[in-house]
Order: sequence, then structure tokens, then C-alpha cells
Amino acid sequence: MTKRFTQKKRRGIFGFLRREREEKRQESESSDLVVALDHIDVKVHSGELFGLLGPNGAGKTTLVKCLSTILIPDEGTAIINGFDIRSQTSMVRASLGMVVGGERTLYWKLTARDNLMYFASLYKMPRKLARRRIEELLEVMQLSDRADERLEDYSTGMRQKIAIARALLHDPPILLLDEPTLGLDPTFSRQIRNQIRELAEKYEKTILLATHYMEEADQLCDRVAIINNGKIVAVDTPDKLKTMVKETELVEIVCYSPPPDIETHLKMQCPDVKIITLVHEDEAKGTPSKIKLIGGNAEEHISTVIDMLRHRNIRISSLNIGVPTLEDVFIKLTGTGLTEGERAG
Amino acid sequence: MEKPNKKRSRTGEVKCPTGFTWANMKAESRAIWESNIKAWKLDLAYPISFVRQCLSPLIFLLPFLIYGLAVIGGRYSEHLEELVGTGDMVTFIFTGYIIMGFIGTAVWAMGFSIRREQWFGTLESLYVTPTSRLSLVLGMALHSTMHQSLGTAIEFAAIYLMFGITLQMQGVLPALVIFALMMLALYGFGILISALSLLLKEGWIISEGLHSIIMILSPVTYPLIVLPNIAQQLSKALPTAPALIGMRTFLIENYTPEVISNVFLHLLALDAAWILFGIFIFYLTDRYIRKRGTLGKY
Amino acid sequence: MKRMKIIGADLQQSSLRSNLLIVWSEIVKNLKFLLAYPVVFIFWAIFPIFWFIPFILQGLALVGGDTPWQSESFALIAGTPEFIPFVVLGAILNSFVLTSLYGMGESIRREAYRGTLDYILSSPCNKAFILIGKALSESISSTIFAISQLAICVLFFGIQLTLGIIIPVIFIIILLILGLYGMALILAAVSLKYKQAHDLAHTAEYVFGIFAPVRYPLASLPLWGQIIGKLLPLTYALIAVRSIMLLKNSLTALYLEILILLVIDAAVIFLGFYLFNWMEERTKKSGTISHF
Repeated sequence: MTKRFTQKKRRGIFGFLRREREEKRQESESSDLVVALDHIDVKVHSGELFGLLGPNGAGKTTLVKCLSTILIPDEGTAIINGFDIRSQTSMVRASLGMVVGGERTLYWKLTARDNLMYFASLYKMPRKLARRRIEELLEVMQLSDRADERLEDYSTGMRQKIAIARALLHDPPILLLDEPTLGLDPTFSRQIRNQIRELAEKYEKTILLATHYMEEADQLCDRVAIINNGKIVAVDTPDKLKTMVKETELVEIVCYSPPPDIETHLKMQCPDVKIITLVHEDEAKGTPSKIKLIGGNAEEHISTVIDMLRHRNIRISSLNIGVPTLEDVFIKLTGTGLTEGERAG
Repeated sequence: MEKPNKKRSRTGEVKCPTGFTWANMKAESRAIWESNIKAWKLDLAYPISFVRQCLSPLIFLLPFLIYGLAVIGGRYSEHLEELVGTGDMVTFIFTGYIIMGFIGTAVWAMGFSIRREQWFGTLESLYVTPTSRLSLVLGMALHSTMHQSLGTAIEFAAIYLMFGITLQMQGVLPALVIFALMMLALYGFGILISALSLLLKEGWIISEGLHSIIMILSPVTYPLIVLPNIAQQLSKALPTAPALIGMRTFLIENYTPEVISNVFLHLLALDAAWILFGIFIFYLTDRYIRKRGTLGKY
Repeated sequence: MKRMKIIGADLQQSSLRSNLLIVWSEIVKNLKFLLAYPVVFIFWAIFPIFWFIPFILQGLALVGGDTPWQSESFALIAGTPEFIPFVVLGAILNSFVLTSLYGMGESIRREAYRGTLDYILSSPCNKAFILIGKALSESISSTIFAISQLAICVLFFGIQLTLGIIIPVIFIIILLILGLYGMALILAAVSLKYKQAHDLAHTAEYVFGIFAPVRYPLASLPLWGQIIGKLLPLTYALIAVRSIMLLKNSLTALYLEILILLVIDAAVIFLGFYLFNWMEERTKKSGTISHF
């Protein structure tokens, strides 16, 4: 599947007409187009909790929107529950429930119950069944006692629970979750992740989870696809993905007050190491900084690095070898971090 | 609407009715009704706004009546009687102004139903459901029609008490039939506007502009014959002009039908034209918006 | 504890120059927003004319005869038989009311919607000057639109404009705008707390639309309606402008209307500022200031 967007923004009624003329030109010239999805080809098995891991702008949301039929892809198609997203859109929508991170996807001036009853009618559920289902879901979400309060009085986490309840109203076999824990505090995030795990294990839902939180993908997913700049760069189980970064290829040195130019000097001393990053932490609060060496023969350069740091009187707290994370895999494969700003050496 | 493909492998049973089935028609009707209920609940969450909207038909009608009284020094106009057979300015204008709020149903309520969901942030959530997008717009249409009817009832009561109105009771039923036919065409028009408002972020300009143009081209506060000839011809493409002429014919004694002859046939033709055109543009626009990916962007 | 140096500390003292800079910045910002939407700009410059065309056509239909644009009955209460210029002038001045009510009243709400209100209110400047800037930018845009509409009306509706008329008319409009500022401030203040600025603006529009002599003379209303009308600044502005443009009276003959307009202006401006400051304090305490 491929999806492109035009980059230029044109406003207003005349802007709309100018945009149309320019896009016709751009499609043939292939300039000023952003390729949001670039020949994505992936298969999710029934009952699988499949992760889509990538930074902001990687194409995760675009892919989720295409699968949910909100967006029409420019090339290719997808089969959801045996239905084609291009030609059988009603059946596709009936087969899935979607949860999007972010606050404004419900009616804040309505109660939780009113919101769910309304969406139940849009999922074509008979009223009696809808009422019963809503009570069940409110019980599961532990919001039964607040069901008749307006959502404007709910916290962000509670609203997200209602959003999940909405996705489960019609008991769909497939769930699309786009950053479901975005903006939530750790307590709610943990609750949501537990619910996702339960949905996959106990209720055997097929789940596509799009996230840029590495731990989320690592903890929850059966398989993870790493996506960057619209392309899938790797697909496998989290454990197998981590083996892509060999133990000898990852060294992490924890130290205090490393100078900013240490990164440049290390790159000169260790040219075969792919990534050298300096991650500054809040030393005032007692969290030291880290120097990470990934790829190449990182392990062989340990003594070089330690000598350089000692020469500059930098206090070394600890040294870790191996134990890669999915973020390390991402960095190795793409040269950038999952959070924007980290760049390869 | 597509039929389920039973040949491909499935991961789970789909429980929603789809296609041309009785169950699906019932479900879509229910979705329209629930959209209407939701809109009422949201309206009532802003009580000041709700009360204001109920009173606005009366508020906007009064200046026309007071102005008319000032211009001719009373209620009766000789020239109006020469033109349309009745000189009672108040009844003439009141029977015309009844429909104004319902024009608003088409250009504002329906026209902005989808934009309003974009503003709430709920549009994508609605579009992911298997309910037809048209049902969402029609739900808003139903809500607005009911709301306007309430406002019109208040308007009628107030004008009757303030000025007194003489209407032919035996003409009420045929007038209602004509009104219903007009509303069908306006719904088609409203579907068209809702599509355009998604396409053009300043769609409110189109709604405001169309509302004003329709009012000018419709014989709301003056007979159609006052307009230049070209405007009279243009007005025949709108459901409001024949509807007003037809309703006044049945409601006002001695009213002389103006330019348009067979009102019922005329309205039926307009119904078919506007509904089909509106739905066609709506689906075309829906596809276009989904290709561009601007659905969630207010 | 050593105090950190505040950048621009020497400017923290409020001065006329810094306050004028705030006003200017606000005007420039709002006008840039307006010009970013040229279609909107053109719409407001032309389209309000469509709103009074039904009144003109209604008048022609009701009067008829050899001179359908003149009515003797109308002359008895308005002082002039020409109802078309009467309506046109009412509509143009009423457009100042609309842009002031909707512009100012909603300006605060728009800042909240954009997410910038918190930052504006936590800045060290005097908020009154931000409001003045907003009000001035609305007035500037209203004036541009009114000039455009007037030009069209001179061409198509027989409005006569001479140099001797323009200056007194501008003077009256300035007095009107001052009064509208006060009313808009009151609306902005109430909208801080009650968030439904649009409804309040609509309600104010209805009051002006019915009780001010926008489309008909004040004498057309029952006594209680005329009393309400006499509390509105638009009433006196309309009487004065029509008197100058249609009845060819001089400014000095309208001293009573001008005096009353000045008194109303002073009262609403004072009330507006007081109410705004009071509401701002209340909403800051309740923490609802940036809700919309």
C-alpha cells in the first residue's frame, strides 16, 4: 500500500482551486509530495497483537487511517477480516473498532452513557443489546458509578477508557489502536496496557497497536513492525528484533557531566561504531548521563572510551554491555531515535 | 452497498447488518433518530443558545412587519392587493417567513453538520462506524426541522397575539403537503452544502451567501413579480418559490397564484433533481476528502 | 537569594510608548489574520448589502404607484419619504454593531480556542491595552467594510455623499464606535465567565435589530420599545446620520443627540472596563479562564 500527500498548503476557496491545479502538475512531476506510506506490505495473523513502532511522522497513523477506511490509499489495498478496504468499506468498518490517542474524539457535553448509546446506534446494535453491553463495558472500565456524568468532568485517562469501551461496543474481531496511551499518566497507561493485553489473550482479538513507546511495543506485542519514513524496515518478534543488535554491538557508559564535544571526539576515535549518542539526563536530580555506542565493534572500544573519559576527569558510574532495547534496534536500522532529535553519528 | 464475500477466509464474525436488507434499513433509521437525539442533548447543554434559537424566527420576522407597517402606515397595502389579490401585509409576510428557518435547516444545520463534528473532533470516530455518512447528515436535518418547527410554533403564537392572522383552515393540510415536498428538496440542497463545507474550510461563506440569495429569490416578504425577470426564472430552480406560492394559495383567501402553475409537479421534479444531485456530490466529495486525508482537520 | 536578571527589566515599567506598542501589535496581528483570508475580507466588504435588499423590495411591493420608492406614510414618522436610503444607512451603521459585537465579544474566546489566552493573560502588560488593540482592529476592519458598502450604495441606491457631509458623519460614527467598545467590553467580560460569547453577541444583535431604528423609525415601536431604543447608542447615531445625510441638517442642530451619545459612551465604557477586570479576577481564581 502506498499513500502520498501534497506538502503545500493553500487556504480558502481560491486556494482550493489553485491546489487542485498544482496537484495535477505535481503528480506527474513527483515534487513536493510527501510519501506517507511507501509500498507497505505486511500481514497480521488472526488473534495476534501486532505492533507498529515508529517515531512521529513515520506513517503509523496514516496506515491506521487507511485500514479504517478514513483514508483511501493511492496504490494497493488491504484485506480486513476478509473484506477489501476499497470495495467493501461497510463490512470493514463493521469488523473493526478504533481507538485514537488524544482527547477530542467524544462529545464532552454528553455523559459517558449517552456517548456510548449513540455510538452503539451507529454500530447498528439493537437497543437492548446496546444497554447490556454498555453496562458490561462500564463495569470492566470501572466507570459504572460515573456513567451519567458529562465527559467534560472526566480526566484524560477516564475519557480514553470510554474511547476504548466505544471501540468494543459491537465486539469487533479486530482493533486498531493508534497511540492509545498518548498523554496519559503512568498509572492510566499501565491500566490501558493491561486491558490491551487482556483483549488479546482472553478475548482473542486481533490487534494492531501503533505506538512510538518502545516499552509498550516490547511488553505487549507478539510481533512488531518497525516503520520509518513510510517504510517497514523490519518485522519480527521483539526478542528476535533485539538480536539484530548483537551484544558486542551495544555499550552503554553511565557517567556524570560529560562535555558536549565528547561525542565528536569519540566518533573520531571509533570510526567503525555506527551510532554514538550522548543522552543528557537531569544530573541535579541524581540521574546521570549516558554515552551509547551501537553497532560495529563497540565492545572493542570500551577501553578507548574509558581512557578518554578518565583523561578528562569525567566520573564513570557504570558500564553496561549488550541488553539491547527495541529503540536500539530502531536506531541501528534507521539511524534516528524514536524520539525526534537523536541522530546517527 | 456490497454483499459479504463468503469465499474469503475470516477471522471473526461480523455482527452489524449491511446491504439492502430490512435489518439494515431499520438500523440506519435508528442511527438517524439517535443522531437527532444526540443533537438535542448537545443543544440543551447550552440552554441560552437553545432558547435564543427558538426565539430567533420571531426576532428576525418582527423587523419586516414593523418596517412594513411604517412604510404603508398600517396593515393594508393597495398595491400588494393589486399584485397578489390580498392586501393584508402581515399575513402575507408571515406565511412567507415561516419557511425562512427551514432554509436555515438546509444551508446551516445540514450544511454544517459535518463541519461541526470536525470541530468537536468526533468526525473520524463517526466515519469509522458502518453507518452511512448520509444518515449522520439526515439526523441533523431531522433535528433542525424539529427545532425550527418549535421556533415556528412560537413565532405563530406570538404574531397571532400581537397582530392577528387570518388563515384558511381547510388549506392547512395541502399547505403541509407542499411544505413537506419543499423540505425534501431542501434536504437534497443541504446534503450538497454539507459536502461543500467539508471541501472548503470557509464553507460558512457559501452557507451565508446561499441563505441570502435564496431569501432574495424567494417571495418571502414580497411577491415574485417584483423581481426582475431573470431573477424570477432563477427562482423556479429553488423549491422555496413554488412552495411559498402554493402554500399561500391554500392558506390566504383571494390569493392569486403567481408565475408558477402546477406547484405539486414542479416540487416533485425539484425534489428528484436536488436529492440526486446532492447525494452525487456528497459521495464524490467524501471520496475526495478521504483521498486527501483532511477529514480530521478542522 | 540572588534575584535573576529580568530581560527587559527597564521596560517593565508601564509607559505610554510600551502601551501603544501593545495596541499596535494587537492591531497588526488581527489585521494579518483577516488578510490571511481574502475571501472572508471580500465577503464582508460586499455581502451585507444582500441583507437589506429584501427590505427594499418589500417596500417597493407595498408602496407601488408612480413613485414606489417614496411613501407619504413613511415621511410622517421618519421625516423623509425615501425609505430606501433610510434602510441603507441603517444597515451600514448596523454593520459596525455586528463587527464590534462579534469581533470583540468573541475575540477572547478565539484566543482561548487557539490556546493563546493563558499566555496573553500571564504577560506583564496592561490587559486593557490588549483590549483596546482588539477593539481598534475591529473598528478598522468595520470602517473598511462600511466604506466599501457605502460606495456600492452610492452607485446603486441613490445615496448622496458630499464633502460637507462626510466629516460630521465620521464624527458621529466615532462616537458610535466608542459606545460599541463599551458594550463589547461588557460582552467580553461576561464571556470570560460564561463562555457562550456567540449567544451573548447574538442576543445583543437582536436587541439592536429590533429596538434601534435600523430599518424603521423609532416612532414605529410601541412606547416601551422606544424607551429601550433610547438606551442604545446606535439609536442616536442613526438619528444623527440620517438627519445629516437625508434631511440635510447641520451638526449643531443635533447637539442633544450628540450629548446623549457621549453620556451613554462614557457609562458603558466605564462599566465595561470595571466588569472585565472583575470577571478576569473571578475566572483566574476559579481556573476556568482558558476553557472555551
